[in-house]
Amino acid sequence: MSAHPRELLALAAAGALDPAEAARVEAHLRECAACAAEAGEWRRLAEGLGRMPAPKPSRALVARTVEAVEERLAERSERAWNRAALGFLVAFAWTLAVVSWLLLDLVTGGLAVHLDRPVGPTAAWYAAYVIAGWLTAGAAATLLGRRAPEEGRTV
Amino acid sequence: MDPDRDDAARLRRGDTAGLAGLMGRHQDRLFRYLRRLVGDEAVAEDTFQQTWVQVTERIGRYDASRPFAPWLFTVARNLALDQLRRRRPESLDEADEPAAPVGTESDPLAHAVARERTGRVAAALLALAPLDREVLSLRFEEDLALPQLAQTLGVPVPTAKARLYRALARLRERMLAAAPAEEWR
Repeated sequence: MSAHPRELLALAAAGALDPAEAARVEAHLRECAACAAEAGEWRRLAEGLGRMPAPKPSRALVARTVEAVEERLAERSERAWNRAALGFLVAFAWTLAVVSWLLLDLVTGGLAVHLDRPVGPTAAWYAAYVIAGWLTAGAAATLLGRRAPEEGRTV
Repeated sequence: MDPDRDDAARLRRGDTAGLAGLMGRHQDRLFRYLRRLVGDEAVAEDTFQQTWVQVTERIGRYDASRPFAPWLFTVARNLALDQLRRRRPESLDEADEPAAPVGTESDPLAHAVARERTGRVAAALLALAPLDREVLSLRFEEDLALPQLAQTLGVPVPTAKARLYRALARLRERMLAAAPAEEWR
């Protein structure tokens, strides 16, 4: 008779044996009454585990959960909209800055001519104005972004 | 078509109908699992709610080629273990109190009533360590096959098998201390 496969008896009741192990257990049980009795105990235990009373979530809990998830979805949607709006505004602002630069250049002497000359005072002031504007906007966006979580806002 | 996959895709798009479908199919088993794992009802309720909120936030990371239930249980498990570690810094692999045989508590009448209601096995299960309760619940109540069980626990299959055996052996020990095997019902 082979050695008593105690661990395998428990796992057999749990349906957790591979085919080779299951065959080994079956063969052993045919010739070992003690293990056959123990296998019966494990089966009863497994049946008991499968029949335990099942606690269920209350309706109030399910309703609270759905409400919490819907709030989170609304926040997610707002964040996505804010990101899209911010992206659009950044692209729009850059386009506006570049186009107005070109227009200004045309008005103050023509783009083609200006390309052969060093940067004149008008263009320098304009560049300083654009950079200052962007730095101010960046600082404002950073401050707003830092305060948003404290105030429960997404942006 | 797999309804879980469809509902997960809906939820990813922000459609609450997807959530309704997933909750309808999985809420009972998720709550049962959490009750077994954390023991306390209030903590289980809190974790249940957090789990669905986190599922909503992380649904983009769910791999739809795999079954939904093990992923859901993994999300729930991480949250539940965090809660348990805050409440009991000692090992989650140890029972709350020394292995007193079921049926020898100070109030035998109250215990008899509870045992009548939940059955001997459920009473013995409650006295086990959280991680033992968990593996037994996943296998016998949630009917997860060994590979899914291992995936949920985040361990290789042989380790999951060893944990399953150890939990069964501890449960049997408690059951035998309370009554002979012929009386297990």
